[in-house]
Amino acid sequence: MSFNPADGEHFVKRNPRCILCRGTKNLCNRERCPVLVKYYSQVRSKQLTDSKDLFGSSPPGVFVGRYGYPKVDIGPLVPPFKGDTFEMDTPELWLGKSIDDIVDFRTSLVRGKYTVGVDDVDEGGRVVDYTRDMALCKEPAEVEAIFNKKPSGRITLSDSVQPYGPSAPIKKLDLGTLKIDRRLDRVYNDTDLKAVEAVLELYDKGVFVSKIQRAFSVGALGVDENRRFVPTRWSITAVDDNIGKNLREEVKEYRPIDEYRIYETWELDNRWIILMMPRTWIYELVEAWYPETAWNPYGKDIAIISSHEHYEGRKKYAEIGGCFYAARLAVAERLKEEGKQAGTVILRETHPGYIMPVGVWNVRENVRNALKNEPKKFETMKDALFYISTRLDIKIDVWIKNSEVLKDALYQTRLEDFGRGEKWA
Amino acid sequence: MLHAEVKSETLKKLVDIVGTIVDEVKLNIGSDGINLKAVDPAHVAMVHLELTKNAFDSYEAQETELGLNLSKLEQFLKLSSSDEMVKIDHIEDENRLVLEVDKITQKMPLLDTAGMTDPNVPQLDLPIHLVIEGKHLLKGVKASQNISDHIALTAGPDGFDMFSEEDEDLVRLSLSKDDIKELDAPEEVRSLFALDYFSSMIKSVSGDTLIQLELGRDYPVKLEFDFAEGNGHVRFLLAPRIETS
Repeated sequence: MSFNPADGEHFVKRNPRCILCRGTKNLCNRERCPVLVKYYSQVRSKQLTDSKDLFGSSPPGVFVGRYGYPKVDIGPLVPPFKGDTFEMDTPELWLGKSIDDIVDFRTSLVRGKYTVGVDDVDEGGRVVDYTRDMALCKEPAEVEAIFNKKPSGRITLSDSVQPYGPSAPIKKLDLGTLKIDRRLDRVYNDTDLKAVEAVLELYDKGVFVSKIQRAFSVGALGVDENRRFVPTRWSITAVDDNIGKNLREEVKEYRPIDEYRIYETWELDNRWIILMMPRTWIYELVEAWYPETAWNPYGKDIAIISSHEHYEGRKKYAEIGGCFYAARLAVAERLKEEGKQAGTVILRETHPGYIMPVGVWNVRENVRNALKNEPKKFETMKDALFYISTRLDIKIDVWIKNSEVLKDALYQTRLEDFGRGEKWA
Repeated sequence: MLHAEVKSETLKKLVDIVGTIVDEVKLNIGSDGINLKAVDPAHVAMVHLELTKNAFDSYEAQETELGLNLSKLEQFLKLSSSDEMVKIDHIEDENRLVLEVDKITQKMPLLDTAGMTDPNVPQLDLPIHLVIEGKHLLKGVKASQNISDHIALTAGPDGFDMFSEEDEDLVRLSLSKDDIKELDAPEEVRSLFALDYFSSMIKSVSGDTLIQLELGRDYPVKLEFDFAEGNGHVRFLLAPRIETS
């Protein structure tokens, strides 16, 4: 590119359609998301299996689709080979991998589809039982899947869910010996425990967020009569949201940090800046997508979008999508560890190397990773903003203009700014 | 010591008003009634509420302080309908509050008030004073909520305006002198406020509640109204946003 689109405000567009939609809301009224279609065409086709039978070690992975709700397609994700495949469905272990790597190993996961009503978690038959059992496993499971037809398609991409490969309707499913995770098994067997409480218990016991999401999606958690399949996409956000909310409320009990802090990381051509301010909880995620990045493929302008919440949290689903909740979990988790609270703004600058969406784990794990580093510390907001301006290409004024929390920090006065008195004047 | 009976509705209103600012509050109990002052965690809004003993059906008290968790009180009040009587008793040696409604009794531990000091209230000299009906404010806020996170309040000799804009969207509620009950505005002033704060300050008022507003230029707004049939009075202060370029 000969021009730097970050040069001026002129090149910034707010809330552009593709970024608001990310392939989920059909805002352009086209049958298939043209952005996703474009990426599909770029992914090399891989011959995974030429037969209707598939033997392999599932990580274990399961998938619950959302099309047709309340009838949904559930089933396992199985690669056409055996071995230790655990990593293939554990995004907590993917930092440092390139987009090509991720796409490459995820494309090997064939998705078996079995249509059930979302309420049929108990008496849905063998495929339902086996899919759920797999979601409770701690180690890869040997799977034999017999499909009605040869798996087709190449890869499915989404902003919230990690990619997966071809799919086919399941006719029959068989499993080898399963190694059940005791922690998951405990909450599965506790049919009086509310789903939210189960999620929090698992998180407290150190179960990976991705595994909690997996159990949540197959209706393995919650009070007996409320158990149901939850599309994977929704499970991811529901779990991020519930854990994050709970951590946030704990964090609000602590004293604010003493200084301005900046944490940063740079991964998959995304630059992440996390600014923490010495004040009570407030949180915002601001994303700037360069032209030719995943959700701004056609634009000539940088596209900026943001969502925020005040001290009390928010009721409406975040405009920016599941990434809001994924990053919030990471922020609250870090603050809780330290026993402090803070106001936080995350600035994400997505550069053209981020060529396709790989799932919301990318947000959660990168923010977590950034927060593991020692922060740069500053006395004043001004110093912190100056430092940010040396790390990101987009001008700081543009960030401020698009960030409610930065504006709040800079422009919202406090009552003590107007003098102290004893009486109610 | 506190031993009182009051309509559930009155306590619900109190929780509604104060709960927008804080979760936990220190009630100052006196022989003539109760009062409280609280500031929100970000120090942007403040509430001062007074409830005289006339708001109660019976009221006996000696000076004391009660640290109250408002969410807990709110949960309890949900068990009652508005015109039911709530009996309140303070058991000093247990530092608990006993609440009774209909056939339910709940004992509620009180918070330690040692760390809960009354906030300092800034002494403000606000040049503009007006009185308008709640319905106007409610409508203006509702209109603004559709498009923006902020609301500008403007008042002058000709009337009062509520105004919001965001990108290309713009919305304004204009009241002329005739729409306003009282207007004392020798000059025109404007201040900008965070809409979520402002809207939660007025969420407990009804359409015919008379609201007193005091305004300045880029200065806090003071908003006051009565409740509990005139036996309760609430004052809010809200700090403005000042956008300097």
